[in-house]
Amino acid sequence: MADTLAERAPLPRFFSRGALALVLGIYTFYTLGPFLWLMTMSVRTTAEISTDHYAFPKKFHWEQFRIAWIDSDFATYFWNSTIVVVSAVAVVTLFGAAAAHALARYRFRGNRAVYGILFSSIIFPPQITLISLYQILVDYNLYNSLLGLTLVYVSLQLPLTVYLLEGFFARIPQDLFDAAKIDGYGDLEIFRRIVLPIGMPAIATTLILNFIQLWNEFLFAVVLITDPDKRTLPVGIRAFMGDHFQDIGMIATGVMISVIPVIIVYVFFSEKLIRGMTAGAIK
Amino acid sequence: MAVVTLDQITKQYGPTGPVVVDHVDIHIADGEFMVLLGPSGCGKSTTLRMIAGLEEISSGKLSIGNRVVNQVPAKDRDIAMVFQSYALYPHMSVAENLAFGLRRRKFAAAEVDRRVSEAASILGLTPLLERKPSALSGGQRQRVALGRAMVREPMVFLFDEPLSNLDAALRVNTRTEIIKQHKRLGSTMIYVTHDQVEAMTMGTRICVMNAGKVAQIGAPLDVYWEPADTFVARFLGSPPMNLASAMVASSATGHGARSASLESPLTRWSPAVLGSLIDKKITFGVRAEDLFMNKAALGSEPAGLVRGRVIAVEPLGAETLLLIEVEPGVEWTARLPRHVPVSTDEIVELYYPASAAFIFDATTGRAVIGEARRDPRQ
Amino acid sequence: MTTTSMSSDASGGAANASSLADPRRASWWVLAIFLFPALAVYVGLTAYPAFRTFYDSFFTIEGLDATFVGLDNYRALMSDETFWVSVRNTFIWSFVAPVLDVATGLLLALALYAGVPFARFLRVAWFTPVLLSYVVVAILWTWIYNYDWGVVNLVLRALGLDALVTSWLGNPNTALAALIVTHAWKWAGFNMVVCLAAIHSLPSEVLEASELDNCGWGAKLRYVIVPMLRPTLLNLYILAFIGKMKIFDLVWIMTQGGPLWATETVSTYVYKRAFNWNTFDLGYPSAIASVWFVVVCGAVIILNRLLATRERLEY
Repeated sequence: MADTLAERAPLPRFFSRGALALVLGIYTFYTLGPFLWLMTMSVRTTAEISTDHYAFPKKFHWEQFRIAWIDSDFATYFWNSTIVVVSAVAVVTLFGAAAAHALARYRFRGNRAVYGILFSSIIFPPQITLISLYQILVDYNLYNSLLGLTLVYVSLQLPLTVYLLEGFFARIPQDLFDAAKIDGYGDLEIFRRIVLPIGMPAIATTLILNFIQLWNEFLFAVVLITDPDKRTLPVGIRAFMGDHFQDIGMIATGVMISVIPVIIVYVFFSEKLIRGMTAGAIK
Repeated sequence: MAVVTLDQITKQYGPTGPVVVDHVDIHIADGEFMVLLGPSGCGKSTTLRMIAGLEEISSGKLSIGNRVVNQVPAKDRDIAMVFQSYALYPHMSVAENLAFGLRRRKFAAAEVDRRVSEAASILGLTPLLERKPSALSGGQRQRVALGRAMVREPMVFLFDEPLSNLDAALRVNTRTEIIKQHKRLGSTMIYVTHDQVEAMTMGTRICVMNAGKVAQIGAPLDVYWEPADTFVARFLGSPPMNLASAMVASSATGHGARSASLESPLTRWSPAVLGSLIDKKITFGVRAEDLFMNKAALGSEPAGLVRGRVIAVEPLGAETLLLIEVEPGVEWTARLPRHVPVSTDEIVELYYPASAAFIFDATTGRAVIGEARRDPRQ
Repeated sequence: MTTTSMSSDASGGAANASSLADPRRASWWVLAIFLFPALAVYVGLTAYPAFRTFYDSFFTIEGLDATFVGLDNYRALMSDETFWVSVRNTFIWSFVAPVLDVATGLLLALALYAGVPFARFLRVAWFTPVLLSYVVVAILWTWIYNYDWGVVNLVLRALGLDALVTSWLGNPNTALAALIVTHAWKWAGFNMVVCLAAIHSLPSEVLEASELDNCGWGAKLRYVIVPMLRPTLLNLYILAFIGKMKIFDLVWIMTQGGPLWATETVSTYVYKRAFNWNTFDLGYPSAIASVWFVVVCGAVIILNRLLATRERLEY
């Protein structure tokens, strides 16, 4: 579509195609360049990097990843992140989908009020809950525990999850629910057998989006976790950098370990992910 | 056995809310194809959903197969429904969609397979059984929806405007298909539509609804030829029946209807009936196909006359529609043979057999009952 | 014809009533099953903590000792210079930076819409920074801004512009701008994708009609595309605004609010007062958080009203 339109409506003459290509090339280098640079540094030793920060790796030091993984505790951080994020995403998706279904499907007094309350917390600045959550988790012995962090993560992603899924579930035609009712489905079965399978595309988008956002979360993790054994990746990298800020090669390797899962998800689900990230802004 | 009876069925949203279905009485015989016809918002879909058990009945009594089902949930009413949007489960294949309702009711696997393959072969769905609904055309989806209802072998089939999402050609095909299946199965079917062509061609009887009330129930041609009121007269028929107000007058030759622009003998009503209407205002009606340019076409029959100014001539090929203004703001349409030698703004006179005239009460709109209208095709 | 229906097995009277009702209604216990988990999470981990923060702001809290101090925290806040500096920085960031983000996003989207080759690849490539965590972005850009070997200074030296070489993050005059550029680097792709989707969803008849009305690219952009995208652009502006009112991670890792409070934001200041300074008082930061909560919600509501965008506010 873009192509045909472009043929009919050429760009202004003063802005020739060549100049445009140059500008876009530079911009692309600007977005991808730092990332490519990071990749080269992750397979070079700090000594090599110090001699020339921008050289292409002569020898690929894959052992850097082994060192980071084992000696620098990135394995611990990685698995902590995985446990917290996977469980939080699973729980928030289930809870959010159930609430979204009820809000999208049923008429009851206060429906929009409940939706508004759940949704409006999306604009809350995190500090409003941060300090109290710290106190509450201390009160309930959940401070400095992965379980506590998981619970907090569920609450952080709940508004977005309800918002995205409610919008999608509301578009499932009512006829389908009528048909299911005639076929004898109860309310819970309708949710499990109709809404969840049909909503799969939207649920998958929400899953991926929640995964990325929580995988990258830093503020709550740094406040609610102190024990080095319980750090998640962002906190772990930050701590490592604090202790070894000269060891650029190892930092780069650690950063790559945290980025690789995101890149894998992006490679396989780039369309879904982009749609999910932007769903909130597009009408 | 599968008689469906609606006894004073009413639907009101909330104690003070709008009444969308108002004390409806319909008796549907076993094996009958009943069409609920009316404009949107007349309560026909709500009536159907109450029969299906998808909407609570505010008051009145609903029975299916001699069992009062007001309190019976939808799944236990032994009905199947075909929805406007088909409502196929998008995550299941055609075969699974067909089998689903039976499996839910714990039928033996062999019986499920038998019914599914039978329905699939009747409807020509056998090559599509493994496809998902998203890989089907609109017509194919419609047939799956029909098949899904058929395999259930229910006491009653319910259709909620099932053809409105199809294009014109497909609509005719599917219409024929549904009629064929009704003949084959002999089940009771209730069919909601706003399309009068569907109603006329499919229904054993038609129930015309207006503003939540039943306007008229009867066989399609009876409703067409003897409309109970001006609403039915105008809703059935395309173009709608021509109406104008007139006075009843008596003369030496008998009674007649008269206004500034029309004059007609009234032959279908007894002098007793007409006697009470003399010098009273009535609504006078003639269908478009009963109007002629040439008085000779009527032979010896007593003829009525209407006079008006030509607004438009619309040649449609096989016929020509002539629009005339009878009185300010009152337009009549005549359906005439191909060539109509008139031009716009000309004053023309059209003729119609006196037996084709209808009269209605000017205030209530109810038809004044006379001798049955002769069906001109006989 | 036999009755093929099965009576519902485990359902009692209540279940019958609910399955009888029209499918858009459900009994209270069905609604409770669906809504309770989400509402419990909301009440326990969002509403209650938010309320508690507000409540705490009237106390001095050191460890387990809470002393009621009334409005003292708020009074102290009014004369806290660091707080006002952080407010100023956050407002600069929130009002100015979104213009940069949205404008870049729109230009990129238009470039893709105009049909440059490899549009699909470019779209995916430009979106990549959005996915990187603030920690990763912060580390990368700390290096990019490095005085000795960072690429910014290397380029300036190569161009002979040694006079402009500076310690970007260490110089109070440039630190905030450096952070804003970094933030824009991360978010331009997001705005681009949203703008592109919005452009593609414009009715093509209108664009074609504008061509018949003799609009060139520039005129089409100015008189048709941008006015029709107005709701989207304003929405993006508000989204970016909210995001920047909350900004923490990037600042904390790159500058920790320094040098000399040049990049201090309200978020970093709350964090410092609560967890970083050894003052051990959670009451005062709670007061800051409460004030900021009101400011953010108020600003969002006012912006929404002022710009009169749409019925729903996103993010």
